[in-house]
Amino acid sequence: MAWYNTVGKSTDTVVSSRVRLARNISGYPFASKLDAAGANEIIEKVGTTLESAGFRKIAFNDISPVMATSYVERHYVSPEFATKETPHALLLQETGGLAVMVCEEDHLRIQSILPGLALGEAYKNASRVEKRLDEDFDFAYSERLGYLTHCPTNLGTGMRASVMMFLPALSMGGYMDSLAAQLSKIGLTVRGLFGEGSGAAGSMYQISNQITLGITEEETLKKLEDAISQISESERRARNSISGENLERLTDRILRAEGTLKYAWRMSSQEFMKLFSDVRFGIALGIVKDISYEQLGTLLVEVMPATLTLNAENTPKTESARDRLRAQKIQNTLSAPAQP
Amino acid sequence: MLCEKCKKRTATVFYNENINGKTRSYSLCGECAAKLREKGELQDITSMVGSFADPFSKLHDDFFGGFFGIPAHTGIAKAKKCPVCGTSFAEIAESGKIGCPECYETFADELANSIHSIHGTTSHTGNVPARHRAKQQRGEKLKKLKQELKDALEKEAYEHAAELRDEIRKLESENEKEEN
Repeated sequence: MAWYNTVGKSTDTVVSSRVRLARNISGYPFASKLDAAGANEIIEKVGTTLESAGFRKIAFNDISPVMATSYVERHYVSPEFATKETPHALLLQETGGLAVMVCEEDHLRIQSILPGLALGEAYKNASRVEKRLDEDFDFAYSERLGYLTHCPTNLGTGMRASVMMFLPALSMGGYMDSLAAQLSKIGLTVRGLFGEGSGAAGSMYQISNQITLGITEEETLKKLEDAISQISESERRARNSISGENLERLTDRILRAEGTLKYAWRMSSQEFMKLFSDVRFGIALGIVKDISYEQLGTLLVEVMPATLTLNAENTPKTESARDRLRAQKIQNTLSAPAQP
Repeated sequence: MLCEKCKKRTATVFYNENINGKTRSYSLCGECAAKLREKGELQDITSMVGSFADPFSKLHDDFFGGFFGIPAHTGIAKAKKCPVCGTSFAEIAESGKIGCPECYETFADELANSIHSIHGTTSHTGNVPARHRAKQQRGEKLKKLKQELKDALEKEAYEHAAELRDEIRKLESENEKEEN
């Protein structure tokens, strides 16, 4: 079970929660100055510690680009990490949603990603791994600046906590810009689905802390949690306020989206994202009854280009063959009875 | 980060003032900065950053480039290099990325303003690595023991002083061992 095919708390407005801790090991320069020998040494040592703690090591330099991209689609690694040419590795333990990127921007990026609103638990999971590594490694740290990181934006706790929210009503109502402006005033940032620079596909937004110095881990989580619960309330209010002709029109759009998702012969990933948003909205509003959040969540990863290609019996050779395969995958997933 | 003058609006203007060799940095919102400029109290503007309030911008990268890219006001030697990794401040200014942990010490003064502008502070309050915590505790204990030793010597309690001295040596050798 992974973050995307399981249901967590506040699923109507929250897709997933993630906490990542940036750490560097004393005695080595940061990533841009680290040579291949140094990187390999870190990968080897960290691998030994984490493999003994039940992690699986994936040497990213040895895997195919499609496999690497599929880890991006599952949100275990960043797009930059997937395409890096210098030595880098992923240590993964899917239960607990634990992924440690070794030699990304920082030597270690320890992260836990969980379904729904679960910031506290994600922090606990990431922290547990961090403590295990703290026993074996001397982290770069200064009393004044906290954990030392490659980019000063992560100094201090090195912690980025983020929540992937599903906000179709606020998004439709055009409230996202003003929400983003308000959040920035309290030190929180809004980004699209795949992080920095990506668009807000499928009405999904990542909300995360911007500041890491002079604030404790607990304070950061509390601030983010409070904001998330307020945004969730606003989103629910916005959903409830849809009525009359607007509701009729929305219902029509949602049911058409459901129909297309179930019966289309071919489907591009862009079209899927749009339909995904409408159908997920439909489940939340009680309009779509025989598709579950779990089924839809599974699709969110499995019909993405790389993962779809990777799991195919016969690799699709053209764009249209892939779109056909995507439509088939969607139909197969949705025709299985929905879990109550 | 809030404007230090009105403490209400977000600070978007950051500047350094250098009077008789003493540097102070200010963080202000656009309105307060404009008022001060009218009064002629704000002259030495070394940087103006307007992207702080825009959450969709690639904030930090742009911010860093802009911030470091300004002409140095306090005679920052751009040729200065980190003794450990050899990174120069010019390199850091260009990439926004630090070379190694030691660079934070080497360029402490040069980085202070930018760190303050990003985080609104320059001191850490969160978790501490286990090793460091142990070292901190040893440091506190050492300080206490040294005071006790001084007291014991003053009171001519030499036997107790000898015990204290042994304890101090033990802690100091633990510190040394840890550092090596």
